[in-house]
Amino acid sequence: MDDKFMRLFSFLLRGVFLYFFVGALCVNEVNAQAKFTISGYVKDASTGEALIGANVFTKADFKGTTTNVYGFYSLTISEGTHTLVIRYLGYTEQSLELQLNANKRINIDLATVVVQVEEVVITGEKADKNVQSTEMGTVKLDVETVKALPAFLGEVDILKTIQYLPGVQSAGEGNSGFYVRGGGPDQNLILLDEAVVYNASHLFGFFSVFNADAVKNINLIKGGMPAQYGGRLASVLDITMNEGNNKEFHGEGGVGLIATRLTLEGPIKKDTSSFIISARRTYIDVLSKPFIKKTSNAYGSGYYFYDLNAKVNYKLSDKNRLFLSGYFGRDVFTFKNKESGFSVNIPWGNATTSLRWNHLFSDKMFMNTSLIFSDYNFEFGAEQSEFEFKLFSGIQDWTVKSDFSFFPDIRHQMKFGANIIYHKFTPSNASARSGEVVFDFGKIVRLYANEAAVYISDDWDISEKLAVHAGLRASAFTHLGPFDRYVKDLQDRIVDTLHFTNLENVKTYGGLEPRFSARYNINKTSSIKANYTHNLQYIHLASISAVSLPTDLWVPSTDRVKPQIGDQYAVGYFRNFKENKYETSLEAYYKTMINQIEYKEGAQPEDNVNDNADNNFTFGTGVSYGLELFLKKRTGRVNGWIGYTLSRTTRQFDEINRGQEFAAKFDRRHDLSVVSTYDYNKKWSFSAVFVFGTGNSVTLPVSWYVINGQPVYDYGPRNWYRMTPYHRLDISATMQGKKSKKFESSWNFAIYNVYNRHNPYFIYFDTEGSLESGYLKNTAKQVSLFPILPSITWNFKF
Amino acid sequence: MRTYKNKTILFLVCALGIIAGCEKEITVDVPLSERKLVVEGYIEQGAHPYVILTKSNPYFAAIDSNSLIDLLVLNAIVTVSDGAITDTLAITFDANIFPFLIYRSNNITGQIGSTYSLTIRHEGNTYFSSTTIPAPIPLDSLWFKVQPGKDTLGFVWAHLTDPVATGNNYRWFAKRIGKDEKFIAPIGSVFDDKFVNGKSFDFAYNRGSVPNSNAEDDKNDEQGYFKIGDEIVVKFCTIDKANFLFWRAAEIEVSNNGNPFASPNTIPSNITGDAGAFGVWGGYGVALDTLIAQ
Repeated sequence: MDDKFMRLFSFLLRGVFLYFFVGALCVNEVNAQAKFTISGYVKDASTGEALIGANVFTKADFKGTTTNVYGFYSLTISEGTHTLVIRYLGYTEQSLELQLNANKRINIDLATVVVQVEEVVITGEKADKNVQSTEMGTVKLDVETVKALPAFLGEVDILKTIQYLPGVQSAGEGNSGFYVRGGGPDQNLILLDEAVVYNASHLFGFFSVFNADAVKNINLIKGGMPAQYGGRLASVLDITMNEGNNKEFHGEGGVGLIATRLTLEGPIKKDTSSFIISARRTYIDVLSKPFIKKTSNAYGSGYYFYDLNAKVNYKLSDKNRLFLSGYFGRDVFTFKNKESGFSVNIPWGNATTSLRWNHLFSDKMFMNTSLIFSDYNFEFGAEQSEFEFKLFSGIQDWTVKSDFSFFPDIRHQMKFGANIIYHKFTPSNASARSGEVVFDFGKIVRLYANEAAVYISDDWDISEKLAVHAGLRASAFTHLGPFDRYVKDLQDRIVDTLHFTNLENVKTYGGLEPRFSARYNINKTSSIKANYTHNLQYIHLASISAVSLPTDLWVPSTDRVKPQIGDQYAVGYFRNFKENKYETSLEAYYKTMINQIEYKEGAQPEDNVNDNADNNFTFGTGVSYGLELFLKKRTGRVNGWIGYTLSRTTRQFDEINRGQEFAAKFDRRHDLSVVSTYDYNKKWSFSAVFVFGTGNSVTLPVSWYVINGQPVYDYGPRNWYRMTPYHRLDISATMQGKKSKKFESSWNFAIYNVYNRHNPYFIYFDTEGSLESGYLKNTAKQVSLFPILPSITWNFKF
Repeated sequence: MRTYKNKTILFLVCALGIIAGCEKEITVDVPLSERKLVVEGYIEQGAHPYVILTKSNPYFAAIDSNSLIDLLVLNAIVTVSDGAITDTLAITFDANIFPFLIYRSNNITGQIGSTYSLTIRHEGNTYFSSTTIPAPIPLDSLWFKVQPGKDTLGFVWAHLTDPVATGNNYRWFAKRIGKDEKFIAPIGSVFDDKFVNGKSFDFAYNRGSVPNSNAEDDKNDEQGYFKIGDEIVVKFCTIDKANFLFWRAAEIEVSNNGNPFASPNTIPSNITGDAGAFGVWGGYGVALDTLIAQ
C-alpha cells in the first residue's frame, strides 16, 4: 500500500482509540456491579434454521439485542435474577427465568405459531423496533411476505417487492436494476450470502435471479449504510440463503406458467450438518418446440433461463461452523434464420461461491471469515455464412474478508473487520473473422485491481433517550497492470502508449468513510433520528444504450476515472400508534454524488476497441433529495403498507446537454405503493398491490433536417420529455389444499395489470412519405409491454 | 454493430409474444424550437465548391408540397475564400441534389493542401466554417467479387495501404456508369485508421442507393449489390476528423431511425455562429478508379 493509505490508516486508528477512550469513561461510571454474558444461537425448532434478527431481551427493563445473520446473540447484564424473553415474527415467544452468576451459553429453539385465524397475534420483533433502533432507511422483508404478494406470471420476485418500498424505484418493465434514492443501478451492493451479484435480473429485468424458495432473509439498506458495508453509494441488498433443514428431509416446489421450481433439503448428519439445493428453469423453449416445424425458418430459436442455488453447512463444534454456498444462473437466447444462414447466440449470467467460517472466540466475540468468488459475464455471438462475430465482457472477483462482532456490555455492540477484493474486469472485447481472415480488434483487454477496506463501528446506547451508531471505514483501491494507456492529442489521435507491466501500480485511490446515525426518543412511541454517511465507490457501470441492458460494462477506477463519492444526510420522525399496531415514519434525505460516469455524446461501442474505454467517458455530478412516508399495519388479518416518495434527482455533466443540469432518467416526482394482504380463512387468502409512479424522462427529437437528401433528427435537451405516469394494480388469491402430515399444496391465482393499463415501455418514431414525394410526416408511437395477464401456479411441500 | 444488437434485443422482446399489440400513437408536445440553418458544403481538388442550404423543421410539423418551400434558403449570401480570392456563390439548379437549388462557385477551384473558409450571411446572422483539402490516398487495387450463392451479384473489394501516421479519415462513394446519376455513399461510408493504422488490408463495400429510390434494382434482390457487367467508378476520399465525426453520426442516425434502444445521437457540426446551425463544410482529397465487374 502506498503512503497515502498508511496515513489514512493511522488516522483511523487514532480516531478509534479516541472514541473508545471517551466511551470507556462513560461506561466506567455505571460499571460498579458484576456482569455476566448470556450467549447462544436462536433457531427454528422444526428445521434447525438459524433465525436472523430475533429479539433477545430482559423482561424487566426491556434491554436486549438481536441475533445476527447466523442466529447468534450475546447479552451482557448484571448478576441476579432475570426473565429473558426471546421473540421472533411468526414464532411462539419464549421466556426463561434465570439466576445469573456466571457466563451462560443458552441455545434457543423457537416453535412456529399455529395460526388461529380468529385471533392472529403475531408479536414479532420487539414491537417498537421502528421507534427504538438507530436504524433509518433500513427494511427487513421476510420471504413469506414476498411470497404472499401477487407475482408477475406467478414468479415470486424479491427485487420487485423491494421496489414497493419508499425510496426504491423500478425503471419500469424491461429495465434491469433498481434505483435507490436517486442512485444508479450500479450503486446498489447486491449480496447473496456475502457474494456480490453483478446482474440481479433475468430477461432484462422481467424476473430476478433470486429464487424465493432458496432465500431466508432480505435486508435492504437505502440510507445510513453501516461501516461494515462499502464499495457502493446508494444501497445494500443483503440476501441470505436458507441453510437446509437439519432435522428431517423435506422438499418444496411449484409449477407455474413459465417456470418450474424444486427445492430439496435435509440433514447430512442430524443436528450437525444439512444441505439445501434449489433449482428453477423456464420452459417456454421446451413447450414451444413441438409446435415449431423442423422446416420452419426460425427452427432452433428460443430463450430460457435457469438458476441453481446450493448450500451445505457443518457444525464442527459449538464454537465453529462452516457454510459453503453457491449460486449459478444463466440466460440463453438463440435466434436462427435458416434462409439467410444467420444465427445469434447470447448467453449471460452470474456465478457465486462463498465459503464461510463462524468462530466464537468468547461469549462476547463472534467472528466470520469468508472466501468469496463472484463472476458475471455476457457474450454475444453472431454467424452468417463465412462471417463470424463475437463480443464478450464481464467481471470476476475474489474476496477474503473477516468480520468480528464484539458485545462488551449491554450498551455497546461493536463490529470491526477487514476485506480485500481482487477484481478482474473484461470490458467489451470483440473478435471477428470472415472465412480465414481474422479482423484486428486489438488485444483482449483485461483490467485488474485490488480493493481493500478496514472498518470499525459501535452501536452505543448513551442514555435511555439517546443512542448512536458511529462507524468509520477506510478503503483503498489500486488499479494494477498489465495495462496500456493510450495518450491522445486534441484531434483524438493516439500519440503515445504507456505500458504498465504485470502487477505494476497504475493508480491508487483511498479514503475515509465516516458513518454516523443517532436516535433520540421523544417518548415511548416516538423518536427522531438523523444520519450522515460518506461512501466511496471504486467500480462503475458504463451504459452506452438509452436503457439498462446486460451489455453494460463494469469498469474500474483508473488514472482517468476517479472513484465515485457519495454524501447522504437524512432525518426522520418515527411514531407507532395503537400499541404498536401501526408503524409510521417520515424521512427526508439529501444526497450528492461526485464523479458520475457517462459516455461522451456520440460515442459508439467500437470506440472502445484499440483504445481505453475510459477515453470515451465524461464525468459529472448528481443530486437527489426527497421525502419518504411509510405507513405499515403490522398485525391483524389485514395488513400491509403504504409507501410514498416525493423526490427529485438531477445530473450535471460539462460535456453533456451543453453543461446544463438535467433530470435523471429515473427521476420520479411521485412514487406510491399500496400493498395489502388479507387472511380470509384457513383456506383462502388474498393480496393486492397498487403502484403509481411519475413517468421516466427520455430524450426525444425536437426537429429534423436534411443531410445528404435524408431527414436526420435533432434531439432536444437531455431527458426533456416525461412519459405518461406508470400505474398498475395486481391481485392474487391463494387457496390452500388439503393438508396431510406428509404433503401440502396450494393454488395461487394472480392477475397482473388488472385494469389493463398501457404503461409506456418506449417511444419510437415512424415516418410517412418522403422528401421526394413532397409529403413527409413524423409520428410518435408508444409501445407498452404487458396487458392484463392472469397466471396460475401450483405450489407444494413435502 | 450496435443497431444490429439492439434490434436483436427488440426481436427478443417481441419473440416472447408479450407485446400483444400494445402500441398506440401518442402526441408529443415538442418545445418550440427555432428553425435553424442547415449547411452541407463540399470542396474537392480540381472542382468548384458547392453549398446546400436548408432549414430545420419542427419534428412533428408535416411537410407537404406547399410547406416544402419553407425548407429552402434562397436569400443567403454565401462566400468561400482561399485566402487570396473571395467568391460569392450563386444559386444554380441541380436535378441530382435535394432541394435542387444549390449555391455554387465559379471562380474558386479546390487545391490539395489549401484551406477554404466559408461565410454565410442569412437573416441578420453570420455563420462560419473552415476546411482543408487533405492529400488523397489512392487505393492500391480494386476488384469485384461475387457473393457466394448470389450468382451474378457481389461487392466491390479494395486494397488500401494506410500511411504510418495516425489520423487518416476516409469516405467512399461509388457510381455505376449509365445506372446512377451521381456518386452515392453507402451507409457506413466513412472510416478512420483506428483499426488499420499503417496496415495494408482488404475491405469491401456494398452498393449504396439514393434515399427512397424507386429504381427496380433498389427494390428487388439486387438491392445493395453490384452486378457482373457494371462499370463502376469509385471515388475514394480523404477527409478531416470533423467531417469523419459528422458523417459517422449522420449515417448512424439514418440507420438508427426510430430505434428506441439507441441513445440520442448528436451530430457534431463544424459550422459556428451565434444563432447555431446544423451541418458540415468539408474538403475532400479525391482519388478516382474505374472497374468493370466481372
